[in-house]
Amino acid sequence: MAAFDSLSARELAAAISAGDLSAREVAEASLEAISARESEVQAFLQVTPELALEAADRVDAARAAGDVLPPLAGVPVAVKDNMNLQGTRTTCASRMLESYESPYTATCVQRMLDAGCVPVGKTNMDEFAFGSSTDTSAFHPTNNPWDVMRVPGGSSGGSAAAVAAGEVPISLGSDTGGSIRQPAALCGVVGMKPTYGAVSRYGVVAFGSSLDQVGPFGRTVEDVALAMDALVSGGHDRCDSTSQEVEPVFARALSGSVKGCRVGIIPSFMEADGLTSEVRRGVESAARALEEAGAELVDVDLPHLDAAISAYYVIGPAEAFSNLARFDGIRYGYQEPDCRNLAEQSARSRAHGFGAEAKRRQMLGAYLLSSGIYDKYYYAAQKARTLITADYAAAYERVDVIIMPASPMVAFEHGAISDPTQMYLSDMYTISINIAGNGGITVPVGLGESSGLPVAAQLVAPAFKDERLITFGAAVERAFSGADFSAPVLGVAPACAGKGGELA
Amino acid sequence: MKELTEVLRDWEAVIGLEIHTELTTLDTKMFCGCKLSHDDEPNTNVCPVCLGLPGALPVPNKRAIEYIVKAGIATNCEIQKHSMFYRKHYFYPDMAKNFQTTQGPVAFAMHGHLDLEVTGRGAAERPECAFGEAEAASLASASAGAVGLSADLSRMAGEGAWDETNPSPSVPAAASEGALAALSGYDTAAFALPERHEDGSYTVPIRILRIHMEEDAAKMVHVGGEEGRIGGAAESLIDYNRCGTPLIELVTEPDLRTPEEARLFMEKLRRIFMTLGISDCSMEKGSMRCDGNVSLRRRGDTRLGTKTELKNLNSFKALHDGLAYEICRQAEVLEEGGIIYQETRHWEPSRKRTVVMRVKETADDYRFFPDPDLAPFDLTDEFIEHCRAEIPELPDAKRDRYEHDFGIKRADAEQIAGDPAVAELFEEAASGLAGKEAQTVANLVVNELPAHLKATGAAVEDCGIAPEQLRSLAKLLASDAISSNQGHEVFVAMAETGEDPEQIVDARGMRQVNDTDALQATVDEVLARCSDQAQQYRDGNQKVIGFLVGQCMKASRGTGNPKLFNELLRKALS
Amino acid sequence: MALTESDVRGIADYARIALEGEELSQMTAYMNDAVAMLEPILAYNLPDVDPTFHPIGDLSNVMREDACDTGRGLSIDAALDNAGSSRDRYFRVPSILGEGDDA
Repeated sequence: MAAFDSLSARELAAAISAGDLSAREVAEASLEAISARESEVQAFLQVTPELALEAADRVDAARAAGDVLPPLAGVPVAVKDNMNLQGTRTTCASRMLESYESPYTATCVQRMLDAGCVPVGKTNMDEFAFGSSTDTSAFHPTNNPWDVMRVPGGSSGGSAAAVAAGEVPISLGSDTGGSIRQPAALCGVVGMKPTYGAVSRYGVVAFGSSLDQVGPFGRTVEDVALAMDALVSGGHDRCDSTSQEVEPVFARALSGSVKGCRVGIIPSFMEADGLTSEVRRGVESAARALEEAGAELVDVDLPHLDAAISAYYVIGPAEAFSNLARFDGIRYGYQEPDCRNLAEQSARSRAHGFGAEAKRRQMLGAYLLSSGIYDKYYYAAQKARTLITADYAAAYERVDVIIMPASPMVAFEHGAISDPTQMYLSDMYTISINIAGNGGITVPVGLGESSGLPVAAQLVAPAFKDERLITFGAAVERAFSGADFSAPVLGVAPACAGKGGELA
Repeated sequence: MKELTEVLRDWEAVIGLEIHTELTTLDTKMFCGCKLSHDDEPNTNVCPVCLGLPGALPVPNKRAIEYIVKAGIATNCEIQKHSMFYRKHYFYPDMAKNFQTTQGPVAFAMHGHLDLEVTGRGAAERPECAFGEAEAASLASASAGAVGLSADLSRMAGEGAWDETNPSPSVPAAASEGALAALSGYDTAAFALPERHEDGSYTVPIRILRIHMEEDAAKMVHVGGEEGRIGGAAESLIDYNRCGTPLIELVTEPDLRTPEEARLFMEKLRRIFMTLGISDCSMEKGSMRCDGNVSLRRRGDTRLGTKTELKNLNSFKALHDGLAYEICRQAEVLEEGGIIYQETRHWEPSRKRTVVMRVKETADDYRFFPDPDLAPFDLTDEFIEHCRAEIPELPDAKRDRYEHDFGIKRADAEQIAGDPAVAELFEEAASGLAGKEAQTVANLVVNELPAHLKATGAAVEDCGIAPEQLRSLAKLLASDAISSNQGHEVFVAMAETGEDPEQIVDARGMRQVNDTDALQATVDEVLARCSDQAQQYRDGNQKVIGFLVGQCMKASRGTGNPKLFNELLRKALS
Repeated sequence: MALTESDVRGIADYARIALEGEELSQMTAYMNDAVAMLEPILAYNLPDVDPTFHPIGDLSNVMREDACDTGRGLSIDAALDNAGSSRDRYFRVPSILGEGDDA
């Protein structure tokens, strides 16, 4: 019939519901694609054939029994390895949790399972999500499917690469400062970070509690919309005090029109140092495409954006220090053997369980929260947050969405950015959204004319207006895919396409 | 060492208390749905949240918030509508996350007070000089020097984090400034002045700085050391059942001046919490725990001395005796020219001394910050009024009512009103009674009941004594139908058998004989038998009358009225 | 003022992260770079701006009923399964005040 990786999640679910494909053969095709491509891509830390086939057989049995199938029945999904899924290890790509068996399942993962998804594995990431390259994984790097010499971005690099490599149609990532949107840009797929609180964080290993948000990857805006509907169906999660009720209106928003809408552009962002010309031209062409679809482009100014990076690198490490304090090797996690006393056991377990960047962030956070320092930095950062949030709110008085780059550059080579503080600057376009708590989506617009690598645009919208991201994202996608329905702009990376996973 | 009363003539003891109370009457923990453990097997009431597993998130228990609001209202606190939970970091395995979720500068309840009535011998601990104008100056200086006794609070005060009273931008700035003003401007020392009464007793208001909500830690067992103590232990075992149990911490202002006041404060607070039904308030089981901070300064001095923190004050006696010892110890050190170090000391009741646990060289830095996982609180008037409406009659009001309506002694009324189950029993038994009969019910409840409960180990609710029995027994006693000794016997019997006291008295032929003719015969018989003692009495030894009354009681097999025997004997011998 | 190696060692002791060999000097250099990068934030300690600790709008008073959630409870085996060391039904830690570098 077709190659597994040529079908979208919607197409797979439709074929399974119609009986054209069984969930089991789709799951097997996904597992085959993974085994054929993993040596090059290394997107996964753990592949779970038993869980996948069990789930697929349940879908097939339900269909045989005449049950109405859930919307994503039989669709293979990969989840970032900071999400608990019972029956798997949850390692956060860290030695600290190398053998940690998930005692429970994260709400976001459960919602995908409830929607009929078939879990094929856990994906690689920067250790504890600290990074923008996935190179800080304690186990192995992940390669960009478009060029294996390059990084997939991060921290959800494995989830982005697995989708770009055609191993799965959709995956879940988490985004604390751009960890969904930046790897989506570098891998040429769609990635969405909803508004803080739209998706439950329960069961997702915390990095920055006031910044973290879960969201989906897909090759089409439509697949991302379907995954978003699955994530918010079931309403507010009683296990997450900060989660809020969101209507599952995302698939419906695909057909929305942008005609007469206003799209904001931040001139200072488009002229920033470090923004490569191919990315700038890509974003400009996306803006023009929206204009051609009937939207109006409006310049907006966000005067306090320059505080975003420093605010982020205060709030993020402070919360990370606090959240990672629990990893002391007692209840779970790496425990240093043969220690004479508890303090030594804790300090050595943490020294040897955590990688360099995880230690750096915690050290910085412990310093920033210390007495006397806290008032100067943390307090100021939270005030900057108020101002940045107000800037966005003021801008949204004038525009419906804002368009900007997701990453200043295309995928870079492994090891190209070795200085940690330099690496922090690659988040310049994504972190202000986490600071404000709003949603954003990355949509590919093609290949850069100089690099030949994926280039993307980012759209951001007001809090809890995430359906606009789908409407505008779909409009951009239509313009660049040339199709008048949801079709991938870039699709599976050429080096991977068609490798393993043929469907009969 | 000198005696406490002597020390307190020269030295002023400045005492503050930190009292932790587990909300044991709730069904579940503070931030998760785990059952509260009482005597369960270790690590059986645990879940991802209270074990601090990666990815788990807290959701506050609504009833726990209601309880702390009730505790605040009942102790005359202002309920703070805007507050947040904070994270308090320290690496210790009894905290599964290595931080404790607690409250920041603004607690749910702030700035309350309890009035203590200090009577009898306890009142003598506060010397003559600690009343009047000198006391006003003392209070003002002590409060100014110690706004907030716990290290974490002084840390926050010292570092300017008091500015953080505003939980979110949705709260108008004025609200935060108001809270700030309230925090710094509420130092009304004159308010806490003692008022002295003619009989030597006095009333003193003790101010409460705050009551905040937090979670309890896990229990640890230290293996291989002496007496389960941590020092010398080869390893420690952790049971997380208790971890996450809702806990409220009350911090007093440093208004207490004697160990007796500290003890009375704790007793009074316990009675209030019992009445609210928010905890079993067992000091023995550790549901209610008290730490004391104490420093000394010369009478008249306005500078505060260095304080020590006292732990293991886990009974009313330990609280009193531990503080008394520590005051005397500090006085001795100071009088010998020594220095008091800021340290944590452990009260050892068996050896009657305090020993050093930990020396605090620098203030602990707990890296407090608002917990991003927990939404701020913006309590509504409806919520607070709902809590207020659920508060039952509090012990002070109940005591006054008992004193007024039943005419019983204030001290008895106070004791009965302090325990809701006892109060209920008393009220039913004494319903419609007054004067001598009501007081007799009170006597039974205050004297016989506790002895019975102690002997049987039963709780008041299921001790087997019905209000009707008490009432009937009290009437028998009040009308002199039986003697007080017989009353005791009947009490024991009626508790055992559930029978009506009238029946018991009749069945045992115990009814007191008040017929003087019948009694005279016994008196004559005894005097004939005990002629030596009779002669002694006539020779002026009045005390021997007791022996003769005893002989009469014996001869009448306890049924004669001892008062009448006494009268008849004296008449016969005069 | 720059952080010294001694400052950084103090933070590491508090954060229970043993720094070995070169790590102390590398960490000190990193901390100073990072703190320098954060300098712009100091200008935001503005008196008339309230901090935003929770990016959740007006959401407040989030509470649950006081009802047992047995579904989330862990069995004793599940609870102890990931522990590096346990004894009987307890989690186990080595001597808290035992002999060590600084004991």
